[in-house]
Amino acid sequence: MDANLQEQADAIEAALHAAVQEIRGRTQLVPSVAVILGTGLGGLGAKLQNAVSIPYSDIPGFPQSTALSHAGRLLVGTLESTPVVAMQGRFHLYEGYSIDEIVLPVHVMQALGATTLVVSNASGGVNPQMAGGDILVMKDHINLMYQGNDSVKPSIRTGRTSDPIYSPHLISVALVAARQNGFHAQQGIYVGFTGPNYETRAEYRLVRKIGGDVVGMSTVPEAITANQLGMQVLGLSVVTNVARPDAPATVDAGEVVEVAGIAQPKMESIVRAVLRSLK
Amino acid sequence: MLDLFDKVNEAVVAIREQWDETPHAGIILGTGLGGLVEQIEVEATLDYEDIPNFPSSTAVSHAGRLVCGKLNGLPVMAMEGRFHMYEGYPLKQITLPVRVFKAMGASLLVVSNACGGMNPNYQCGDIMVIEDHINLMGDNPLIGINDDRLGPRFPDMCEPYEQALVDRALSIARTQDIVAHKGVFVAVAGPNLETRAEYRFLRTIGADVVGMSTVPEVIVAVHCGLRVVGFSIITDMCLPDALKPANVEEIIAIANDTQPRLCKLVAGVLAAESAS
Repeated sequence: MDANLQEQADAIEAALHAAVQEIRGRTQLVPSVAVILGTGLGGLGAKLQNAVSIPYSDIPGFPQSTALSHAGRLLVGTLESTPVVAMQGRFHLYEGYSIDEIVLPVHVMQALGATTLVVSNASGGVNPQMAGGDILVMKDHINLMYQGNDSVKPSIRTGRTSDPIYSPHLISVALVAARQNGFHAQQGIYVGFTGPNYETRAEYRLVRKIGGDVVGMSTVPEAITANQLGMQVLGLSVVTNVARPDAPATVDAGEVVEVAGIAQPKMESIVRAVLRSLK
Repeated sequence: MLDLFDKVNEAVVAIREQWDETPHAGIILGTGLGGLVEQIEVEATLDYEDIPNFPSSTAVSHAGRLVCGKLNGLPVMAMEGRFHMYEGYPLKQITLPVRVFKAMGASLLVVSNACGGMNPNYQCGDIMVIEDHINLMGDNPLIGINDDRLGPRFPDMCEPYEQALVDRALSIARTQDIVAHKGVFVAVAGPNLETRAEYRFLRTIGADVVGMSTVPEVIVAVHCGLRVVGFSIITDMCLPDALKPANVEEIIAIANDTQPRLCKLVAGVLAAESAS
């Protein structure tokens, strides 16, 4: 391997080790599930029991939260009697973070003991069958972020995995939970762009044509890393609006947040069902 | 990232020392629009190297100058010489002049480029009024901490090119008997031209023409609230099933031949601006 790459990998290993040590110094709980509380799951953090809260600024190697509008902290506690580690506040490529910075928390949560990653996001729908407030269970993704996840921990790089990134078993658990709770959820393909601008009409048409159902600006890097680390992954997307390129309307960031709020109970019921299934 | 605001203002201060007017439009003179500068009643000319934070012109083959003055009475600023991602410039640097236009008081951005035509109904020498774009450059000039003084975190892109200006340009083209289409421009980083498979791909995803510029500047224009009108000259046809090697002399000849028509079109669009 290239000497520079080796150096970079060593630095990341060291950061990972230091982060894990810092967290272990504050809690002995060994989480089995990692949750990234993206849009639609923000409220779940408050529901963790006996939670230990660690600001990102206290964790070595974690990106500083200066660019984050919300609280950046790691929560370790239990939910549905399952030990959980949850990220409250996440990092995006459009904020200028590198892939290494964005995926470091996934490495840390895995090193703490998590074997499952549940990740949520907000997305714009391009599949005309969907409506704002729907839940899309990620079956797969298309990475149009122009970034590989290669520099972190090259020792575990698998190159290509034959296993699906998103666990078919967890997808099924999520869809059953939606039915049992009386709301609609569907499987689909998430296309990741860097953003930060919303897409043009021509870009929405592109997404639809290449097989995407929704488009968003997160999740793909974290899911790839979790998969490389052998974790099973569940991706949940709140469809905040459905883009109709033939009848364009502006996307209002306030509306996005409002719809995400409406979807929150649905998301929570799915996550709780998944946690119960993993016990 | 938050130093961008100050960089823009430093450039504005330097320009104001030479030209203390409020431009209505900022114009990026791409291939085929260079001749427009002859129609400008020049009041000040600044070399890029004399404007703080402008990209240095070392890599630019042609003149790097900012021309300020009146075009048919309308105050404008025009960039002679533009910068491309394939030259190695960061997109934030390439797009800084657009923010300078805005900070000087402009409300409109005019952009042009030479492109490859993939829509088989187009011909070499036709003009396409850009109706929408697809960003496949693999980068975005807005990545980084957002400075709310410059624009919103998540700019909407449902109408980056003002529809009324597209209609106006097409109407002028008809009146002047100029062949003009409206269509979708896809931007790639380049610098190599596309393979046949890539042309098929770009056509399949909905693009009419392909080029290596313009999209970063337009994204920043939308971010800072400028109206935009964009023009592409089709300088070669990129039909994957009958693809010929690109001939640079031919491309330049077509651009030169089309130039008077594009200049007429842009002048017409701007004349309606001063009337409104």
